Amino acid sequence: MTELAVETTGLCRRFGELEAVRNVNLRVEAGQFFGFLGPNGAGKSTTIKMLTGMLEPTAGQIRILGLDLANDPIGVKSQIGVVPEGLALFDRLTGPEYLTFAGRMYGLDRVTAAERAQELLDFTGLADRTKSLIVDYSHGMKKKLAMAAAVIHGPKVLFLDEPFEGVDAIAAGTLKAMLNRMIARGATIFLTSHVLEIVERLCSHVAIIDRGELVAQGSIDDLRSGVAARQDDGQKLSLEQIFLKIVGGERAAVPELSWLE
Amino acid sequence: MISAPGKSTQLFLVGWLRWRLFVNGLRTATGKLNLAVHIIMGAGIGLGIVGLGVLLGLGSWYAIRYGKPPLLSGELWLVFLVWLLFPLVISGFGAEADPVSLLRFPLRYSTFVFLAFAHGVFDPVAAACLYWLAAMLLGISVASLRALSWAIPAFAVLALLNLLLNRAIYAWLSRWMAQRRTREILGAAGILLAISGQFISPLANRYGQRALPWVTRLASGVRVLPPGMAAATITFGCAGTAGKAGAEFAGLLAYCGGVGWLLAIRLRAEYRGENLSETRRPSAEARAPVRAGWNVTGVSPTVAALFEKDLRYLFRNTMAYLTLLTPALIILALSVGRRGSPHPKITGFMLGSSTYFPMGVAYVLLTVVGLAYNSLAYDGPGLAMLFAAPVRFRDVMAAKNLLHSMVLAAEVIIVFVLVQFVGGPTPLVVVGLTLAGALWALLMNLTAGNLVSLYYPRKLKFGQMRRQRASGMAVVATLGVQVLVGGLGAGLYLVSRWAGNMAWCGIGFLGLAGITWVAYRRVLNLVTGTAWKRREALLAELSRPD
Repeated sequence: MTELAVETTGLCRRFGELEAVRNVNLRVEAGQFFGFLGPNGAGKSTTIKMLTGMLEPTAGQIRILGLDLANDPIGVKSQIGVVPEGLALFDRLTGPEYLTFAGRMYGLDRVTAAERAQELLDFTGLADRTKSLIVDYSHGMKKKLAMAAAVIHGPKVLFLDEPFEGVDAIAAGTLKAMLNRMIARGATIFLTSHVLEIVERLCSHVAIIDRGELVAQGSIDDLRSGVAARQDDGQKLSLEQIFLKIVGGERAAVPELSWLE
Repeated sequence: MISAPGKSTQLFLVGWLRWRLFVNGLRTATGKLNLAVHIIMGAGIGLGIVGLGVLLGLGSWYAIRYGKPPLLSGELWLVFLVWLLFPLVISGFGAEADPVSLLRFPLRYSTFVFLAFAHGVFDPVAAACLYWLAAMLLGISVASLRALSWAIPAFAVLALLNLLLNRAIYAWLSRWMAQRRTREILGAAGILLAISGQFISPLANRYGQRALPWVTRLASGVRVLPPGMAAATITFGCAGTAGKAGAEFAGLLAYCGGVGWLLAIRLRAEYRGENLSETRRPSAEARAPVRAGWNVTGVSPTVAALFEKDLRYLFRNTMAYLTLLTPALIILALSVGRRGSPHPKITGFMLGSSTYFPMGVAYVLLTVVGLAYNSLAYDGPGLAMLFAAPVRFRDVMAAKNLLHSMVLAAEVIIVFVLVQFVGGPTPLVVVGLTLAGALWALLMNLTAGNLVSLYYPRKLKFGQMRRQRASGMAVVATLGVQVLVGGLGAGLYLVSRWAGNMAWCGIGFLGLAGITWVAYRRVLNLVTGTAWKRREALLAELSRPD
């Protein structure tokens, strides 16, 4: 049986009256490059926050690599890397200081943390900005640094919330190269993104959440064949078309604006 | 094609926008509470403003009636300085909101300039100053109608000048403070200026006589500044020397023109879309190898890494470390006064030199423990990383406590050295009692501070003073613990003194420190679970964007 990297059972999260995530049952196998998609406000960030221990579920269970997150948060966190929505950077440190700090937080010894930090700085092209504080970095540099900090301890599962948002093509290329290396060495990657072309190119499997509910889950080919079967036109659909068909983006006709002719 | 709306429509819309922001701000309980506090405080301050207006009116009447020009000049200086400095003190050393944010709309230049002025005219301080000038005019009109005919234009131009100067200062400060580093430097300069105020009295005691001729020369120079010129216009006018009065008035107008020109440069640049981005120009940096983190003896590698991070943060936060340096600087100021004074005085009380060290330590303690009650304040978005990493929050708080304890220890040593210099050797028994008491007080504050930091956190910004306060509950808790420690400590001291055996006091302090140590350890063990349960609230408050 294939090992599950991420598994949720009946995952729910309420914010007062609003049920942001409702009965989500996710299954991500180890080694998969998994894209978690959904329209704005669908519950993607809420789910990823719960999966990484930043937010307590109202109900349900989360198991990462077979470990129960609620019972063994430290055990789970040792195995995962996270690039959350706000990047979680200590912006008054320099890049090298932050990376060595992150390495030591994940249990690396001082020397190993420094060696890996050096390698990561070289890989991400940040090695010539070793004196600048992170607060003075550009957005793309911050993203690369956050990604470097998330992988410094060699996590088995990597969670990324919108890793390509606001990143130029060069920085995106570096990030993609880093992610592909992670996959090549057997890690599992779980990412949310609005850039469906990138997800289609990188991910083997996706799940789609809409209004807090999981509406589709599987390999992109499975989803494509499922949707195509329903459409019965035989044409190979892009992930964007699959996404729009599943979340109903095509159902509502785009209304005309009377003053735009 | 649609044309831009008229000036009156734009002004109406901006007024509506401000009103909606105000009304929507009242939706939360905090917003309503803030309004209530402002009304209550406003009523109290309003009474003071009215009272001062009456005094200024009487003063101007007296100055004109009995020929006392310096009094009139002094009153005008008061209004001038309050108008200029008070808004700066209130807003602190942060970037100021202005109509620049509206420039993405087709805003006319005249509307933009008008809004920049409206910001100044509808300011409560400006309103109070205008009222004071009106009260002074009333006083002058009762004393002499001829003086009034000169006072009206002089006061009008002075008011206009104040308005222009106020706006010009804001516009130029906004220009400088748009850069983070400049903001921090100006903030630090502000703190140093405030601290240097402590040196005035001791320096005056010591060097007052020698400095007197310089002060007199400086005061005569002040005469050619706007308030002095406005007073001179009225005085000369009243004396019937219209030529001299006219010359003074022309000087005032020249000031207005100069300041207006400086303001126009800024407003024109802002209107043209000057970019005041925080982003620094990328500069070439030499590649440097990554150094391994610190190894702190006696603590786990995680605590060592956290300690290193917190110490780096402290030294990069100009405001925080200058605040921590304040006690030592003030003791230094007192030492200057003490060496120039024949009596051993501290803050006006006659005290023996043996009390210098306990007093200095108490002062240092109050400053340092303030950090412990909001110890996550500067972590910002990085806090999420601490929750994502396999770290026990116990270690996070232990590292912060270690840092605060070491800062306190360093400051106690500085105070000890300074006190030996000021008052001679401190008796050993006083040193021992003080250190025992400080140990107990530190543990009490760290214990309470760890809980308050998790339950009532408040995000603070680097390098800013404006609105950088801990939460109300943190302030109450800080005060409560100081009252408890002070009360118990004083009780123990008095009982020991009454019994004639000060050893009891020392043993009592150490006993209390021992009990508090047990409580501290228990609280520290609870911290991981508490932080995990409260992670959502902590991240919401401390990781929110600026």
